[in-house]
Amino acid sequence: MTNKKNLNLHETTSPPKMKIVKEFRDENTKEVGFKFVDYYISEDKTLFQAHLHYDQLYTVRSAELSPYALGLLEGKIMGTKCPKCGDVFFPPRVNCWNLDCKLTKTEWIELPQTGKVHTYTIAGWSGRSSLKRLPFVLAYVILDGVTTAVANEIREINPWNAEFNMLVKVKFVPKEQRVGAITDFYFVPADDWKPSPMNPEKERIKKLCEPVYKWVASLK
Amino acid sequence: MTETRKVCIIGGNTTPFDYNNYHMTIEGMAANVMLETMDDLPEFNLRDIDFVIYSHFSVHFGKQLCPEWIIHDHLGLVGVPHFRVENGGNTGGSALYAAYSIVKSGIADVVPVIGWETMDNVSQSQGAEFIAIAADTRYELLVGGIYPIFYAAGALKWMKENKFKEEDFALIGMKNRNNAMDNPKAQWYRNEHKYLTVDDVMNSRLIAYPLKKYDCCLMSRGLAIVLVCSEEYAKKVAKDSGYITIDGAGLSSCTIRAGDRTSFPGWNERYGKGYPDLTEFAACRNAAERCFKQAGIPWKDSYKYIDVAEIHDAFSSSEAQIYKALGWADENNIAEFVRNRETFMGGSIPTNPGGGLMGYGHPVGATGLMSTVEVFYQLTGKIPEKHLSKKSEVPDARVGLVNSHAGTGTSISNFILRTAEGGR
Repeated sequence: MTNKKNLNLHETTSPPKMKIVKEFRDENTKEVGFKFVDYYISEDKTLFQAHLHYDQLYTVRSAELSPYALGLLEGKIMGTKCPKCGDVFFPPRVNCWNLDCKLTKTEWIELPQTGKVHTYTIAGWSGRSSLKRLPFVLAYVILDGVTTAVANEIREINPWNAEFNMLVKVKFVPKEQRVGAITDFYFVPADDWKPSPMNPEKERIKKLCEPVYKWVASLK
Repeated sequence: MTETRKVCIIGGNTTPFDYNNYHMTIEGMAANVMLETMDDLPEFNLRDIDFVIYSHFSVHFGKQLCPEWIIHDHLGLVGVPHFRVENGGNTGGSALYAAYSIVKSGIADVVPVIGWETMDNVSQSQGAEFIAIAADTRYELLVGGIYPIFYAAGALKWMKENKFKEEDFALIGMKNRNNAMDNPKAQWYRNEHKYLTVDDVMNSRLIAYPLKKYDCCLMSRGLAIVLVCSEEYAKKVAKDSGYITIDGAGLSSCTIRAGDRTSFPGWNERYGKGYPDLTEFAACRNAAERCFKQAGIPWKDSYKYIDVAEIHDAFSSSEAQIYKALGWADENNIAEFVRNRETFMGGSIPTNPGGGLMGYGHPVGATGLMSTVEVFYQLTGKIPEKHLSKKSEVPDARVGLVNSHAGTGTSISNFILRTAEGGR
């Protein structure tokens, strides 16, 4: 058998004794299996269609990435660092990406909660789960000292005021609302940041946002 | 590489692409397209098929694992080996690459590639979210990102770096939808059915700045088939109808998360530190360099050696970014290249004359095959027969490019196709 010590494999508690710490499922979270809920027939009586409902709970095992999720619950941004080449990853990579480092296991480090906007967009449409938050700024931010960029929302800003290279800081949602996922935090402008004066592009974006605000207000 | 046999394409067609107005099961669509292909190629026989590659992206849309098994049985092909390729938006290109590899290696001679998606099984916003499950769900999907948002974030920085204007993107959105107005199977032709101006694109609703609705592709239901085979078989059954050869095939990968492209060691080594960033498509460039080399075409200004291209215009911005990754222009002249309408009909390299993803539609697993079918038509003189007129035909085209693209540029394939000698 292979000597595990030399390979430096990822190891987690086995068998783990998982204990439920918090449950926040509501009455809409139901697993009912396959269930038809209606049917249609075309007016000329030649075509049939129906709606099938199928919902499923998924177990998301964070496993060796758990320090990341546990960190979020505590209001910490946990990333990883390669002890060989020094690259720092957030989102975390548990093995280094540099082929010369030969999958070296990275080390967990707590990251600073400040960074810079690398690029961004103003979303006016999104997936079903995010429609009611529109319009919002989605930015790729490089946290200080990190090699990679991470996507997350910038809040507490008028969308048209976002800009390249703006300084931002991490803000966590209140502790009782955290779920151990990336949505436990978002970005806000750094303390001393002031929006630049309006210009034609910002006016244009503001105008494009107006119908989005109206549309979202009309959503049930 | 040792000299191996030539791989040909002798036929291919698609269903109409549509959303909600086209009721057809996947096996019904496959039978229809196979029938049209058999009609084009009277000497082709289903019994000659010795392998089938299926091309389908998301089983979420059909609530059916291995849906290709349904099609395969329906076509009567028991015993014939098959498997399905799934590779995001590049599913079609990757499936074509698989068929090409199988024929090239001599494992099989006659290999249809059958691709489809049924995206109108769910609502548009649910569909967008289903596709976005191909982004890293733990980080990107949850923060509200869907592909138009990720692409827009890359496009905004790209726009500044390349002195591009929103109107330049709009020009591309307009071009492809207007091209589709000559193509009766195109979703834009079948549904909205109108010619657009740049203003129409500029005034369409915000999706994610700088992209508006008409800068974005369509969600579709549809199926496409491309018939790949050995040269020997092509000579046997397609001498009269015309056929093409696959002279170059390149496939490359990039990161799943665009945020990891700031300093990836593999790219730093190949193209210098900081490339591709979140703005360029390194996988497209890498796949193009490999593909063009096989076909004897230089990467820089490659458009001068190509007559027609069908490329993955998921967004008007990505079409422009792809031009750059294909070596057609650089940061100094890309804006001028677009404004000069070099990629319009009559320009130096008409691009997406079939309508592309914005005009023809984007039923993901069928898309790269649709692009291949369109180039096949162009190179074998079939446009006047398959489209409504000669308006969307590139006269006497003999060299074509097909580009298929996944994720935020996570997997990309490029193909150079040429009219076979005596093949048109």
